[in-house]
Amino acid sequence: MTAPVTTPAQPDGEEPDAQQGMILEVRGLTKRFDGLVANKDIDFDIPRRSIVSIIGPNGAGKTTLFNQISGFFEPTEGTIVFDGIPLGGLAPHDVVELGMARTYQNIRLFQNMTVIGNVLVGHHVRMKSQWWQAILGLRSVREEEERSRAYALELLDMVSLSRRYAEDLAKNLPYGDQRRLEIARALASGPKLLLLDEPTAGMNPMETRQMTDLIAKLRRELGLTILLIEHDMKVVMGVSERITVLDYGEKIAEGTPQEIRTNPKVIEAYLGKQATA
Amino acid sequence: MEPLARAAVRRAILVGGVVGAATVYMCMVGLVGAFAARPLIAGVGGEGPGIVTLGLVMLAAVPFLAGMTVASRLRSATTNASGALAVGCAALSGLVGGVLLAAFTLIANAVPLNGVFIPVTPTLVDILTFEQGPVVGPILLTIVATVAGAIGGAIQLLDSRDRRAILSGIGIVLLLALLKPIVDPILAGLELDAVRDFLFSAGGLSQAAAALTLALVVGLSWAWGRPAAPLRDRMRSMPAEHRRRVGLALAAIGIAALLILPQISTGFVSLVLVNVGFYLMLALGLNIVVGYAGLLDLGYVAFYAVGAYTMAILISPSSSLDGPITALVGPEWAFWLAIPIVMLVTALVGILIGAPVLRLRGDYLAIVTLGFGEIARILFGSDALRNWVGGPNGVVGLPNLHLPVLGELTGPGEYFYPVMAFAAFAAFVAWRLSNSRTGRAWNALREDESVAQATGVNTTNYKLLAFALGGTLGGLSGALFAVQLRTVFPGSFLLIVSITVLAIIILGGMGTIRGVIVGALILVGLPDALREFGEYRFLVYGAALVAMMILRPEGLFPSKTRRAELHEDVDVDDRPQLAASGEATA
Repeated sequence: MTAPVTTPAQPDGEEPDAQQGMILEVRGLTKRFDGLVANKDIDFDIPRRSIVSIIGPNGAGKTTLFNQISGFFEPTEGTIVFDGIPLGGLAPHDVVELGMARTYQNIRLFQNMTVIGNVLVGHHVRMKSQWWQAILGLRSVREEEERSRAYALELLDMVSLSRRYAEDLAKNLPYGDQRRLEIARALASGPKLLLLDEPTAGMNPMETRQMTDLIAKLRRELGLTILLIEHDMKVVMGVSERITVLDYGEKIAEGTPQEIRTNPKVIEAYLGKQATA
Repeated sequence: MEPLARAAVRRAILVGGVVGAATVYMCMVGLVGAFAARPLIAGVGGEGPGIVTLGLVMLAAVPFLAGMTVASRLRSATTNASGALAVGCAALSGLVGGVLLAAFTLIANAVPLNGVFIPVTPTLVDILTFEQGPVVGPILLTIVATVAGAIGGAIQLLDSRDRRAILSGIGIVLLLALLKPIVDPILAGLELDAVRDFLFSAGGLSQAAAALTLALVVGLSWAWGRPAAPLRDRMRSMPAEHRRRVGLALAAIGIAALLILPQISTGFVSLVLVNVGFYLMLALGLNIVVGYAGLLDLGYVAFYAVGAYTMAILISPSSSLDGPITALVGPEWAFWLAIPIVMLVTALVGILIGAPVLRLRGDYLAIVTLGFGEIARILFGSDALRNWVGGPNGVVGLPNLHLPVLGELTGPGEYFYPVMAFAAFAAFVAWRLSNSRTGRAWNALREDESVAQATGVNTTNYKLLAFALGGTLGGLSGALFAVQLRTVFPGSFLLIVSITVLAIIILGGMGTIRGVIVGALILVGLPDALREFGEYRFLVYGAALVAMMILRPEGLFPSKTRRAELHEDVDVDDRPQLAASGEATA
């Protein structure tokens, strides 16, 4: 993790008073799939510039919650307000434009595009050139293209992905680097809120530590708010300020890592198995 | 026998069986008979029928290729069988194939088969037996097949440079002989009678010319592949910018050669190239839809039809609307004024076709668009629309195209320049789009639609845009086709147009412009130029596509992306440094 960081900071995160208040407010969120209730009446807030984790046993409804926040699924009931704007009825690409970006539990890169191509697709919403301008080859298009490429390379530095890979295909990257690339792609859309779905899944302890460092760095240097789904308790306890615990689709606890660790309901539902083991 | 040899022999016999079946099939459908009528290399003195015919080449090529396949498997790094075993097995596969074909010859000789298989005539038997009678002939045939197989095997023993030199030598000689109907008129046009007399006679390529070409190509190819070839090394050591310039210069020479071609050759060549141009534009348009955005459209002919009919109705004085544009501005400018309207109409049709299929992916999209293509053709030919588009008779009487400086075009071959200009325009548009924000959004759509959307791509808009722009290029092609033919009728817009265009893209390499150009030349130019191929066009298409899918699924000129996608194993091996350094950073 030695790469220099030159990425433009996010203005929203920099202002001190913007740190007050919530960037995301979820109220009464319920998601049903036919008979199955995946999320039930969830209330949950994310303060600006914080790192918040959602934990819970497999099938607790963590990813479903994620998918609703990022606009992948329409909630059955309830509201999601992001940065003061209700997300009801917005398409995923609108949500991205508002400043939310995500990664996936099972890495979903554009496999047969280059590394830099992936990042540039991430930057799509912040670029302006239209198809007819591209055909005409306007100078504004070329300049934007150059700027975006430079920015994409800086993002590769940011996530400690060597620039040498820029023209390689995403699928040829080693596993850990694919996760980093996914984060770079998400960052390229200039998010205020970054949703990371199990960013350390399948990583060895060293890779996990590097990922934890990266997450902390993203908040520190870009002023991002980060929502994390994570299984690795060391990561969760180490990096997050607040933790929300889901079990069978319901929120059963919320609090600081210390509170969660000692919460009897959580121990029963989740950590309890580890505690007694 | 040791296990390796046993497996090798078994495989050789299997391949031989395939060879036999393939050659017998070629005989039964009439390929061999038809191709035997095309002499490639003339007899001694250049008189009489050629000694090497296309039919003979095909008969020998099949066991030759089989021998190469068998031996290459045995000589691979993992197997590393002895040379004798490899050549022996290659010969064996040729022998098995030869015996099967000889057996077929004997049967055909004894039983009259041409009641069912019309091409199986005594003439065919004569060809297969080299006119040596029913005893010596089949033996000779078996020997030829065996020897061809053995040579195919032996060629694998050479190191790759020698092999490449010999194979390209043989390939170029055959190509030159095959292209005689095109090359000969060009030489005549250039008044290079001496060269012409040396190269060709009535029986095909002269033996001296064949030998000279072979020596030349083998020599050049060998020199180029030499470990320290001065020219190649200079090319490679050039900075990228220089290399790009050399590439551009070569492209410019190619384009210049193309541009003077109609001046120095017969109208026939221009006509073939005009047809290639139509398909090139279609393929470039479909490439946007299929290659860039990954939307498999099997009804692309609909755009061709809409473009052609729109142009016809707008400018033909005998159309249902009496050719409003021609009435307005006269025949000189009618085409040029109608072109933007055609583009607009086809773009709208693209959106109309795209809108209902937005939610469909893959196979479902393919089936529905297939239906759209047929609907378009049937609608244009229907009685319901007869009053507007003329039903089965179509629209006739389109005025000739007038070019700003060159004036009125009278013959269909004169459309060469405008068609090439429009094709170049289409290629330019496709190229500019491919390297843009738009192109990347399409690629993302092709790779993973949901993730593309969650990354910020408005998938609805970009799908519609792909259909609209792809449709516009197809419509332009149709509009030119209409004025060139001066008549538009539904029979021109069959399903096979969609299939041919898709085949061009697949053969050339999905998503690349260079590949599309080569694909159009091979799949449209070749069958048009060579009547023998024209007859068996679809058989050749099918065989070519199957062969491509097995040997080079990424197409002849693939994009970097496609190649990697389809050769995963190779790519990983090719990049040890990537994996290793990745380990270090991980």
